[in-house]
Amino acid sequence: MIETGIPKLDDYLLGGIPEGKSLVYYIYPGVEGNVFGMQTMYHTVSNGRYGVYVASSTDPRMIREQFDEFGWNTDECGDRFIIVDAFSGLIGADSRERYVVSDPEDVNDLTQCIKQAMEDLDGPGVVVFESLSTIMDLCGESETLDAIEEWNQYAMLYDHAMVYNFTAWPYSEDTLLHIKEDICNSAISVGGISERVIFGQYFGILKADWMDVPRKCVLFKIVRPGGIRVYIPKILVTGPFNAGKSTFVHALSNRAVSVDRLGTTIALDHGHIDYRGFTADIFGTPGQERFDPIVKLLSGEAMGVFLVLDSTNAADFVRGKRMLEITMSFGLPIVIIANKQDLQGALTPEEIRKKLSMPTNVPIMPAIATNRDGVFEAFETLVDMVMEVD
Amino acid sequence: MSTSEMLGKVLSDLGKIGEIEASAIATRDGLLMNADMHVKGDPETFVAMSATMLGAAETATSELNKGIPNRVIVETDDGKLVCMGAGPKALVVVLTAPEAGLGLILVELTKAAEKIKKLI
Repeated sequence: MIETGIPKLDDYLLGGIPEGKSLVYYIYPGVEGNVFGMQTMYHTVSNGRYGVYVASSTDPRMIREQFDEFGWNTDECGDRFIIVDAFSGLIGADSRERYVVSDPEDVNDLTQCIKQAMEDLDGPGVVVFESLSTIMDLCGESETLDAIEEWNQYAMLYDHAMVYNFTAWPYSEDTLLHIKEDICNSAISVGGISERVIFGQYFGILKADWMDVPRKCVLFKIVRPGGIRVYIPKILVTGPFNAGKSTFVHALSNRAVSVDRLGTTIALDHGHIDYRGFTADIFGTPGQERFDPIVKLLSGEAMGVFLVLDSTNAADFVRGKRMLEITMSFGLPIVIIANKQDLQGALTPEEIRKKLSMPTNVPIMPAIATNRDGVFEAFETLVDMVMEVD
Repeated sequence: MSTSEMLGKVLSDLGKIGEIEASAIATRDGLLMNADMHVKGDPETFVAMSATMLGAAETATSELNKGIPNRVIVETDDGKLVCMGAGPKALVVVLTAPEAGLGLILVELTKAAEKIKKLI
């Protein structure tokens, strides 16, 4: 298996791309999708395997800079990071790369170069195409389609994985359909959505011929440095007064701000987390009843909810449950944080479950937000639950 | 042109009146839809706080039957922040330079809010 390096996608693909198979990132115009191929390339190379990057629309030096922008240092990968230069020939520039296509408008020339690079690789690797659409523009649609079949067969011989970035410009219907459905073993659609009022970008699996395709769509965000992150636009943190909501938001976040007066949150806590391929914006509500109108206002469109409870203060549990109602959280993935486990008299998660009469499908997890105990475990649990929802 | 691009256009047009250092469109519940930032900062937090302010202001006045505020204006020594509703779902907020005149900005912001309301 060759991992794509895209968070969540490898899980869905049951580990990655099997050796000798091909994958196309089918990118809708207007979406910054070429990063997918770049991330797969860098992930493979940094794992000690070989990667060939077919540069067709950018100068190889610029390409290394593009990788640098994401914090991916290509120099450290030495000769495992190989570029097939199918660009310099276009502008008549000299190239310092080992593989240079002298006439990028001639598909046979390109094929020759790619085959040579595949043969030379010392073990299975990945061949990533910076932009299949550019090659198609230069060499013609049907010529390119034929060539892809040839490249994919060749990859099979040498156990390489083929990865194409393809932007779905208005080519002929047949060409688009062919790329989406026939020509590769798997296809990942990368698009933008304007569903409701939040705008985002998503990816989903269209096809993968070695498995049953899960019908999942994943929102993502591109961060620099970092690359592609699974993105959750809003996670709500709510709970009664003095349960430790702000502390929890700050413990979880890489950076966070709070509107606190006299030691309590009066408006909201806003935090941002970047953790193991996931990124999320976190909204923490005030807990006191007089701020309920603001709680209601800010809780819309959350994708998941943390209910933070002070485990030593059973009297407030009812208020906690009430806050789930105010925030209209029922039906969303909820994780209950049994906070302040280090204090004397803290109830165990099971005792809390009994007192709240919470069904067992709502996890109750122990935590000590002041020293970050349990907060990331809780985050992972909630994210898994959010990802299970379609 | 997608809705997102149209919203971006509204903001960049708004920026042309000058002295606007940052502008953003967000949902009423504080999620960023589009931002045009000329200052360093985190647009997500900027809009989350703006949405809270506008919501709090609306709650404060409507609790006392004084209607819904047309806008929230915040003045500091370093500039001004104006936040305004743009239809029931969205809001628009701008951050200006200290010497910026409010008159023109309010007129243009009201126009922008109308456009955003139609787009969403």
